[in-house]
Amino acid sequence: MFAQVLFLMSAFLTIGCAIAVMVTKNIMHSCIFLLGSLIGVAGLYATLGADFVAVTQIMVYVGGIVILMLFAVMLTGGKDFVSRAQNLLGLAPAMGNKWTYGTGLFVGAVFLLTNVSLLMNVSKAYPVKNFGNEFPSTVSAIGKLLVKEHVLAFELSSVLLLGALVGAAIIARPRKQ
Amino acid sequence: MNQTLVSYLSQYEFYDILLGLFGKNEGFLAFTIYLLFTLAIVGLCATIGGLGTYAERKISADIQQRVGPNRVGPYGILQFLADGVKMITKEDVMPFTADKFLFYLAPMLALIGVFATLAVLPWSSGFIMADLNVGIFYLIAISSLVGVSVFLGGYASNSKWSMLGGLRGASQIISYEIPVTISVLSITLLAGGMSFGTILSHQQGTPINWFLFHNPFAFIAFFVYFIGALAETNRAPFDLPEAESELVSGYHTEYTGMRFGFFALAEYIEVFVVCGVGAALFLGGGNLPFNISIDIIPLQLVQVTVFMAKALLLYYVVIWVRWTFPRLRVDQLMSICWKYLTPIAIFNLVGNAVWMVMFNGKSIADLVFGGH
Repeated sequence: MFAQVLFLMSAFLTIGCAIAVMVTKNIMHSCIFLLGSLIGVAGLYATLGADFVAVTQIMVYVGGIVILMLFAVMLTGGKDFVSRAQNLLGLAPAMGNKWTYGTGLFVGAVFLLTNVSLLMNVSKAYPVKNFGNEFPSTVSAIGKLLVKEHVLAFELSSVLLLGALVGAAIIARPRKQ
Repeated sequence: MNQTLVSYLSQYEFYDILLGLFGKNEGFLAFTIYLLFTLAIVGLCATIGGLGTYAERKISADIQQRVGPNRVGPYGILQFLADGVKMITKEDVMPFTADKFLFYLAPMLALIGVFATLAVLPWSSGFIMADLNVGIFYLIAISSLVGVSVFLGGYASNSKWSMLGGLRGASQIISYEIPVTISVLSITLLAGGMSFGTILSHQQGTPINWFLFHNPFAFIAFFVYFIGALAETNRAPFDLPEAESELVSGYHTEYTGMRFGFFALAEYIEVFVVCGVGAALFLGGGNLPFNISIDIIPLQLVQVTVFMAKALLLYYVVIWVRWTFPRLRVDQLMSICWKYLTPIAIFNLVGNAVWMVMFNGKSIADLVFGGH
């Protein structure tokens, strides 16, 4: 029962914060709501028993991406980024206008339909398990997959990240006169 | 396998009796046990954080040949309670131009980030709320909420001092996370797992079996970890985010009363947590210096005492360092992290990996005395 409660809490956190990201008019606030939404997603992973993915979600998004976003927003204006556009009904100001909402709705609908059609079969094949006090870990399985079957993807992505790092260093380097 | 406190307690007879009392409802019993232990641990850590402020003043007074607080209670030990009462009864002031929502959220995020780390802190081999298989990774990940809170506290106050303090704090915490994480990674390499249970089970016995003395690289890694942890908790000589002489009080300049108290409490508890993690990773945690085959509750309590002793010893060193060294400049702070600590940490990681391959995972003690 507690697994279900945790799932519901995570799901409400995810969806509620995602809605709040859209409807809030202050971009800093929407960054913070995004943080809540991402933590909710980590909770969803955890209730599925994917402990490593859940923690990586927190590590990458809370520790990296959200702080980076906050930095970027603040250094480029921060508080002045209060949206004056109107929402779909033309009432309270919110992020985006009818075009962005329309596009978002369309993309969201397509995404939802594809996901549902894909996940229907999976969720039938793997029913929800109620994990007890001891549940299996995914760390060693993920590690083995990364260095055996998917070693090429793993190495390529590390080369990509290294390239990004070197590129950032070159751009930020003080130029000799 | 992920172990938890409940699965540890379920091996005892009294668990079955309790289960009978709860009408065979295992989930409810587990919930109750977690709730009780959470309350106990949070209360304990809040007390440690409160006493930390007292220890800070007494030790600084000792170093500077003063007396320190000596009015409230015997030797002034109740000073932290008096401070707490003062904090709670103080007026809660918010700057007129502050971002109200973020201003209220920031101190809570700091406390959430710190208290969430307590879930995996290994008090003893059995008393650990959740011995997750990703334990140390979880701890590093969730404690980055403190960085967010420092940044938000600085931003939301809408004051230049706070803003500068918050910027410094966030950049410092992000930067020093890298050497700390790589040092921790080299220890997980030695232990072969990220859970505290695995890490502690490899350090049983006499201090020669601690990971601190496992090999020369692990020895250096401890100091890299400790320096990085000082910087991550904004302690002197890395307390640039709250440098009094430059920034008034840094990111919590505009906070008053208990909201400031939340930040202070979070800082002191975080110092205890990083000291505890250092003790568990490098100094053998709660392991007793002799091997015992029986597993009873009193022995677990002895282990808790050993763990606390090691963690509080490191806590003393943290305070000692604060009152001994002058503060760094910002450029020195960044060059220490990126030009010294990070390369050393990566060197340690590679060194540990090579050592594991060369000597088949044996420690120096094993090689000298021929163990395992």
